[in-house]
Amino acid sequence: MKNPYSSIEAEVLKVTTETPSIKTFLLKPKEELTFKPGQFMEFSVPGSGEAPFTPSSDSQIKDTMEITIVKVGKVTDAIHELKPGDTVGLRGPLGKGYPLTKFIGQDVLVIGGGVGLAPVRTLMYGLFHMRDQFSRLVYRGGCRNPKEFLFRKELEKWMKRDDLDMKLTVDEGDASWNGPVGVVTTIMDDIDVNFNLAKAIVCGPPIMMKFATFKLQELGVKDSNIYLSMEKNMSCGFGKCGHCRIGPYYCCTDGPVFTYDMIREYPGIWE
Amino acid sequence: MLFIKRGKFDQLLKSLTGDYKVYVPRSMGDITGYSLLGESDTNYEIGEIRSFDPLKSFYFLGREKVAEDFKPNIIRDDKPPCIVGAKACDLKGFRVLDFVFIDDECGDPTYMKARENGLIISADCTGSGETCFCTAVDINPWPESDFDVNLSPVDDGFIVTTGSDKGSDLIESNKSLFTPSTEAQIEVIQQNRNTVKSSVIKSAKECRIPVSDRLRRVIKKQYESNIWKDASEDCVECGACNTICPTCHCFLLYDQKSDGRLARFRIWDSCMIHDFARVAGGDNPRDRLWMRLRNRFDKKFNYFPEVLKEIGCTGCGRCIAACPGKIDIREVLARLEVR
Repeated sequence: MKNPYSSIEAEVLKVTTETPSIKTFLLKPKEELTFKPGQFMEFSVPGSGEAPFTPSSDSQIKDTMEITIVKVGKVTDAIHELKPGDTVGLRGPLGKGYPLTKFIGQDVLVIGGGVGLAPVRTLMYGLFHMRDQFSRLVYRGGCRNPKEFLFRKELEKWMKRDDLDMKLTVDEGDASWNGPVGVVTTIMDDIDVNFNLAKAIVCGPPIMMKFATFKLQELGVKDSNIYLSMEKNMSCGFGKCGHCRIGPYYCCTDGPVFTYDMIREYPGIWE
Repeated sequence: MLFIKRGKFDQLLKSLTGDYKVYVPRSMGDITGYSLLGESDTNYEIGEIRSFDPLKSFYFLGREKVAEDFKPNIIRDDKPPCIVGAKACDLKGFRVLDFVFIDDECGDPTYMKARENGLIISADCTGSGETCFCTAVDINPWPESDFDVNLSPVDDGFIVTTGSDKGSDLIESNKSLFTPSTEAQIEVIQQNRNTVKSSVIKSAKECRIPVSDRLRRVIKKQYESNIWKDASEDCVECGACNTICPTCHCFLLYDQKSDGRLARFRIWDSCMIHDFARVAGGDNPRDRLWMRLRNRFDKKFNYFPEVLKEIGCTGCGRCIAACPGKIDIREVLARLEVR
């Protein structure tokens, strides 16, 4: 029997500073460790603890993975101290990913803001790999200010794709910004898809997810077609420790991706 | 059915200490508590009611090392537990924990091993405690399933029934210790069962606990009620109700470096404590104490009935006895039923 509590050893190959509080870590696991977009990993610094993160790299790259992490507490403080050559632990993949095959033949909308861009990047790679199987592909993203955008070079590349309708906004602009200003829901009105059948994926801070969900409902997207990437306190990651319960579900095993109709009736989903 | 004298049963337990860590209930004033059976140790008492400590502690340890360095091996490697005198409510507790922890794909390896290799010698209740309400959650005060061997106390020994192949094998290989039971003995245990059951039913009725098939409905109906605020007023967030509960299974993983090695511990956690559901960003879906109390009831009386088709409360009343704020689960349930 395998031990679901033990981590696989991995080496930090590269650390990229994205913003003053966000870094991306390129990791090389000692054993093969693959994941699907939307699944998460428990990332540990030996002795300092473990925390759940969704990888931010292309899931088709098999020998390494990238994880993008905001510094918010004890474990992430220790993670931010990591240097190339350091040893870390990875446990996973955990949870269910995005059911991309269910999106085949449909229009796909991706709404992702702030640090939610990290998992969105993995998802976008997944969608690009299957691009010819979807109808229209739309991405709407936002950040508090232009400095907070992660993966700028990639965002610029995506902007140039003619098979993607993409727009970015910021809550507060600056001299470098000549795009729209406002929360992400303000750049959703010109989306031109078949809302009745479209699949929408929302990933970002809870407040953004909440209002993006309401906006999608208003536009006519069905609750059962709104895929939310939920953030709950996940400790074990395999449905035993009880921390991440949402009604009859555990976020770690039944999610972290849920359709809105599954969870809309339960309290505290946006917190 | 077979009968075994107490002296012979002592012998049987002694013979089990080779293969098992045998835990026996011992009298501690008005209550019983479990500890390990020693050599030539016959100083135990099959208590009238459940022990004060929950039996989960021998399977799902309060603090246990579950992983070391990056090795995939399973750490705990000692004799499996044999629990003597487990009551019907305790066995129900195992049913809930089994549902949570046993899973071929991704179960808790040490719990599964202890359950698979362990031995349960249960016993009928011979009295009803002040906080007992098992009948209100559909349990009879005598074991009916989920045991290997059951003891029904009679004058100078026990009437023995088997509940599993492991139990039958144990009796078979110790045949000489048993004699056939008499009709009079069977009558005694039947009478005891009836008396204890009536007594628990009476006390549960006095507490006005909603009938079991309404429990889930009242929790859902009163979800937004002020009762939760009111009931949580005396809670001091000590988590005693969680640690003492035979079905509470929540834990947290904690990493430590000791002697240059990485060790991961699984430690009991409490859903009543403020940061239980708090996420790294700082948001907390159950920021208020009453929300956490409501969540505890929701887990036992709504979540488990939905996913397991069983109430997640055993009616053992340990949480009532343990609560320093004197919060009584029976009273809270009674208040939820609008009359």
